[in-house]
Amino acid sequence: MGLPLFSAQGDPGPSFFHYAHEAGLTTAGPRGDAPSAHATTVIAVRYLGGVVMVGDRQATGNYIASRDIRKIEPADLYTAIAISGTAARGIEFIKMAQLSFEHYEKMTDSALSLEGKANYLSPIIQRNNLSSPLMVIPLLAGWDLSHQVGRVFEYDGAGGCYERSDYATIGSGSPFAESTLRLGFREDLDLEGALDLGALALYEAGDNDPATAGPDFVRNLFPMIVTINENGFQELAVDDVAVRFKVINDRRTQTGGVAGGDLR
Amino acid sequence: MSMQFYVSPEQLIKDRAEFAQKGIARGRSIVAAIFDPGVVLVVENPSASLYKISEIYDRIAFAGVGKYNEFDRLREAGIRWADGTGFTYSREDVDARALANYYGQHLGDMFTEGQKPLEVEILVAQLGNKLHPTKLYRIAYEGTITDEPRFVVLGGDAETIKERFAELDATIQPLAGTLKNAVAALAGPDRTVAAAELEVGVLEDRGTRRTFSRLSDTQVDELLR
Repeated sequence: MGLPLFSAQGDPGPSFFHYAHEAGLTTAGPRGDAPSAHATTVIAVRYLGGVVMVGDRQATGNYIASRDIRKIEPADLYTAIAISGTAARGIEFIKMAQLSFEHYEKMTDSALSLEGKANYLSPIIQRNNLSSPLMVIPLLAGWDLSHQVGRVFEYDGAGGCYERSDYATIGSGSPFAESTLRLGFREDLDLEGALDLGALALYEAGDNDPATAGPDFVRNLFPMIVTINENGFQELAVDDVAVRFKVINDRRTQTGGVAGGDLR
Repeated sequence: MSMQFYVSPEQLIKDRAEFAQKGIARGRSIVAAIFDPGVVLVVENPSASLYKISEIYDRIAFAGVGKYNEFDRLREAGIRWADGTGFTYSREDVDARALANYYGQHLGDMFTEGQKPLEVEILVAQLGNKLHPTKLYRIAYEGTITDEPRFVVLGGDAETIKERFAELDATIQPLAGTLKNAVAALAGPDRTVAAAELEVGVLEDRGTRRTFSRLSDTQVDELLR
């Protein structure tokens, strides 16, 4: 790779994605009809001071490929990206997003706005999903520094970007997680409330969706929980996560597996 | 019909070098020096938004003197090269020496083949770790790369400032001392430079991946006290 100099007309500007495309660093996927798995559950719930995200750790193909992959990553200090769909493309997508935000910041000496980041991902998703059967559907959550508020953005398969005022889910476990969130979400959720609701929604997804792993007490592996607020992206310690899932699991054991009641 | 007069290669190179030097001499000089434990880059810059010092990668910084539009283009190319290399291979494979060589090649090409040589001098600084050494590469307008051991001065007045700084900054010391000496060397004996007139960038380990930061006027003011 030589020094990437461009004429003023052909310059890709501060966009790493467009530069990478121009320089042939990325490859478009082949067309075909491979199955588009999206075995995952990731949840983002807004609360008064930010956003809570919960994601399972299992990679599923025809069998369980991994029990401890990370589907939520920081895109920068104040933004989290979660992925569902093809693992290879998802991981490349996260890398592209992380690099693009940093690239923009270095090129222009100013950080992208959260809305700018959300919109930036649209054509990347569109290019991947409309040219390849290896789908990726991400979820973006962040703390908006300009407006001091936590925001959640979800995407459709064609790259359409939609801001959610309450919560969003991605992956095959979505229907179960979403049902739990529908019943439990309130506009005045505080951090603890959002953490409890998010964990419960993921527990439900893990309980019903074969491709979503709930808490694994045998291996001491738990879904990951992160918070994004004015302190930036923070991941909860494993012990903390373990206790939260243990509480849900104990309640569920007492009722013989019946959910119901006071949102258990 | 126009006549092509013969110009000897010596004369051609001399003319081009003079042209480039004149352009570079119009701007302010830059001092970059190793302190304990980092690299500091200092330049007089009355503009608070048109930067001469910039972040290239996790442990690499850039500085340019001369024509702003020319070195800014090189800065952008450097960021693209670094991010592209890190994306293709790994972050740890991004090394300042490779970038300095590319800059050298480009400046060399422009000097001999371009419509006009670039009127810039640039610096690529790398903060060392266990994989890469701490390095200060100075790349001149005609593509010459020099690897300076402890500090480097770029710009028209480089020789004088270099002598002044060498005299003041005999040993590697903490940031405040190095910064004071750099500013004193830039200012010379007859004047002082206020913090607001300075642009200062630092490469320093803070436990995070990215090591570059700009110092605010307040921070610079406090360090200079």
